[in-house]
Amino acid sequence: MRWNNRLKYVFLLPAVLWVLAFTVFPLLYSLRLSFFNVRIGQEDIFIGLSNFARAFSDVNALNAARVTLIFVVGGVVIQLLLGLAFALLFSRPLPARNVLRTVMTLPLFATPIAVGFLFFTIFYEEGGLINGLLGVKIPWLSDPDLALFSVMLVDVWQWTPFVFIVILAALQGIPEEYYEAARLESASSWTLFRFITLPMLQPTIILVIVLRVAEAFKVFDIPFTLTAGGPGASTQVFSMFIYRTSRRFFDFGYGSALAFLLLIVVLFLLMSFFKRIRQVYQ
Amino acid sequence: MRRRSLAIGYGLVALCVAIIWFMPLYWAMSLSLRRPADTFTVAGLGIPFVHYRPTLDNWATELRVPESRRALLNSTVISISASLLALLIGTPAAYALARFRYRRPPNEDITMWFLSQRILPPIATVVPFLLIMSQLRLLDTLLSLILVNITFNLPFAIVIMRQAFLDLPVELEEAALVDGASYFSAFLNISLRLAAPAMAATLLIVFAFSWNEFLFALTLGTLNARTIPVLMAGAVDTRGIQFWFVAVRTLLAIIPPTIIALLAQRYIVQGLTFGAVKG
Repeated sequence: MRWNNRLKYVFLLPAVLWVLAFTVFPLLYSLRLSFFNVRIGQEDIFIGLSNFARAFSDVNALNAARVTLIFVVGGVVIQLLLGLAFALLFSRPLPARNVLRTVMTLPLFATPIAVGFLFFTIFYEEGGLINGLLGVKIPWLSDPDLALFSVMLVDVWQWTPFVFIVILAALQGIPEEYYEAARLESASSWTLFRFITLPMLQPTIILVIVLRVAEAFKVFDIPFTLTAGGPGASTQVFSMFIYRTSRRFFDFGYGSALAFLLLIVVLFLLMSFFKRIRQVYQ
Repeated sequence: MRRRSLAIGYGLVALCVAIIWFMPLYWAMSLSLRRPADTFTVAGLGIPFVHYRPTLDNWATELRVPESRRALLNSTVISISASLLALLIGTPAAYALARFRYRRPPNEDITMWFLSQRILPPIATVVPFLLIMSQLRLLDTLLSLILVNITFNLPFAIVIMRQAFLDLPVELEEAALVDGASYFSAFLNISLRLAAPAMAATLLIVFAFSWNEFLFALTLGTLNARTIPVLMAGAVDTRGIQFWFVAVRTLLAIIPPTIIALLAQRYIVQGLTFGAVKG
């Protein structure tokens, strides 16, 4: 029994120490930086909350926040609707269903940076795939309003499959008897969907939304290669703005403060679903 | 009759969806096989042999470039090391969370704590990592990127392996303990063996995540430790947009993680939802 007790901590300890050293410590370090004016080769100067205050009056920061919010909400809504529709479609008995399903899951692990480049060639105005095929000249990447939508479309291509396979898995977990019982009452297919499928899917849909939103807030790679944040700053998402502030302008204090603001937003989202997610691991 | 045509209709829609989703990957293949002169002149879908004469020249040229080979090697070394080490550190912790009971904090809170490390935006640790690695003189080394990728994937390995151990029947371990085996040997000889498929899947998925990682590779590894994604990102500045090479590199980057993910397909749903939904 004593062995058991010791093993219990010996097994857990390396992982806990690792997270403390490589995640918690860097985060605390970053929190400290956010209260300072950091300049290379100079003493750090304590400036309190000034970095945070600065973010709320910085036009670029506010723009990045707006762009990210549009990207997150727009992208996730489209992915959710398409993914749900595809899952319902593919849950029927179709010939070669598994082949079709496999094709749909290919984008999931495609390197995002490469995906950005790939869609650059697809959206290319002269001779790109879409414009070439349709014989039109849509300025996918050079029109400021359209560019953000194009970035969103790439995210939709990559992540709709996630919504799709997860909801499909959940659909297959709904017992057939529920539908049979309802059919005996000659319920319409809309009624079946509304009163059986949708309520049974609800926990999965909420989980998918939380995971997708948290992931979408991190967006960096795709706009990095697809639009480089442009034209202007129309696709400069928050992570990219932080990266540029800290890496290109070496403004580490301000960069850290911005990163913490993003962290707080995602943390808030996570906390509001904390109980629901925690149940999964009980 | 109506039911039958409806079924055909659904089938056709499903086929269209699959074709649209496959199109970008097909397009990359088509571009990568064209001579530079054919890049923009080939009509419509650019089907090889029909619309143009395909060539493997771009692939041969790209694979001869020393930087590309180096980046492929770097990405491979980093991804293999990070996935093995994340599993090595994560598996015992996962087993402990699945089999032992902790009181303060309770198991589910410990699991949530690990999980939250994975969900929070990585940009928040870019600056401290940059400063710490430069203090340790580890900038532009493979080691720094291995450390980073272990950090991001450790929570993932723990959450997935915890579920794998929970799914194993506990009776076999109990029987071994009754027979006088120690907890450690029950873990080593029974649980680990039974959980081998889940471990393999975790290894593959972590490999793919590490292969795709860009933000930290860009921050920490500029030259010697340049990975495939960083090599790609640099391609525009130096050579302008050369579509045929971009296409080759795109496929070089995308193919390994995609094939690997297909091998672990049974675990993808579980993996991407952190064990919350069974595939």
